[in-house]
Amino acid sequence: MSSLAQLALLLVGAALVNNILLTRFIALCSFFGISDNMQTSVGMSLAVVFVMMLASTATWIFYYGVLKPLGVGEFLYIPAFILVIAALVQFVEMYLRKYSPALYRAMGIYLPLITTNCAVLAAATEAVKPGFFKMNMPYGFTLGENLVYTLGVALGYGFALLSFAAIRERLDIAPVPRSLKGAPMAFICAGLLSLGYIGLGSLFGL
Amino acid sequence: MKQWLEVLRNGLSFENPLTVLMIGLCSTLAVSSKVEGAFFMGIAVVFVLTMSNVLISAVRKFTPDEVRIPIFIVIIAAFVTIVDLVLKGYFPSIYSFLGVWIPLIVVNCIVLGRAEAYAYHNGVWLSVADGLGMGAGYLIIITGLAAVRELFGSGKLMFLGQTLVSFGAAYRGPNILLLFPGAFILFGFVIAGSHALNRRLAARKEGSA
Repeated sequence: MSSLAQLALLLVGAALVNNILLTRFIALCSFFGISDNMQTSVGMSLAVVFVMMLASTATWIFYYGVLKPLGVGEFLYIPAFILVIAALVQFVEMYLRKYSPALYRAMGIYLPLITTNCAVLAAATEAVKPGFFKMNMPYGFTLGENLVYTLGVALGYGFALLSFAAIRERLDIAPVPRSLKGAPMAFICAGLLSLGYIGLGSLFGL
Repeated sequence: MKQWLEVLRNGLSFENPLTVLMIGLCSTLAVSSKVEGAFFMGIAVVFVLTMSNVLISAVRKFTPDEVRIPIFIVIIAAFVTIVDLVLKGYFPSIYSFLGVWIPLIVVNCIVLGRAEAYAYHNGVWLSVADGLGMGAGYLIIITGLAAVRELFGSGKLMFLGQTLVSFGAAYRGPNILLLFPGAFILFGFVIAGSHALNRRLAARKEGSA
């Protein structure tokens, strides 16, 4: 088990320094797709934090509990993970609809979309495949580290999405050249935002 | 045959997955810092997209509507696993460069999107054209983007250990092109350019008709 300091470093590293959206480009589809509206961005961020924590715990247990003992982890992890995630999302959706209608209204429509949100699959894969994550842990994560890491990734996702949504709201009223209006300008702004995140990297020396 | 070519061409220009439909962006920006990585990623996507289009279109008559998405995903995941193992076995350096992006082809919106929007409603033959066209549209944009980033960012173009073009050792390129912000900003201009081009093409089409 790693020390508390290492866990804290892992959290910060996953959330800010290796921010999943702005410095690693994972899950950009949802990033550009929904960030033009603050309300939907809040709903999506909540749903991602929630589902990601559940999904990556489930896939971790599935990998070490089922796939690895059977010796098929090497070539079955892709279909297995995506099915675990898809099934889990379905269950969460049914559960929320029945027991927590308020929460369901807030993030219900984003739940199916999350199945194909690359961030969830990426976090799940990186937890069991050391070396994919930039900090180059020489071993697969333990369950505790996996939880901390996933929390970091999910928080980083939410933070980047919300800050970008705020920028895009201002962008709507800004004078932008005609050919750059809309998507091109959004990309350029994302580039500038990501420049800031790169600065954070040297701050922590990671 | 004419329709086949039409479908193929649509993927390249008017419905280009990256610049017009704006799906599958994540991998494009992430792996386009090196030409060889981008090229192999493009090939992998062409393969997965075409093969999954064929299979999904072939089984579309027996696929119940309610469970079609899980079926699509399993089919796609099978082809992605093939790519994953082939790259790992024969091109280990490229495998480690692409890293998590290979498994992520499963959730690449282009592949699932074409399965849902095209292959599920059209015949096998046309689905091949759609897969090849969309895949080629992806391959061209991602390789082009990578070529610009690598050439101007580092001053030379490498492909499988060979130097294709070099500006010489004295060249000091803007480093930002190789970093993440460069990809975002460059891609913003690529979209702006391709929108302008498509507008012009559409205007000419109307003028001649």
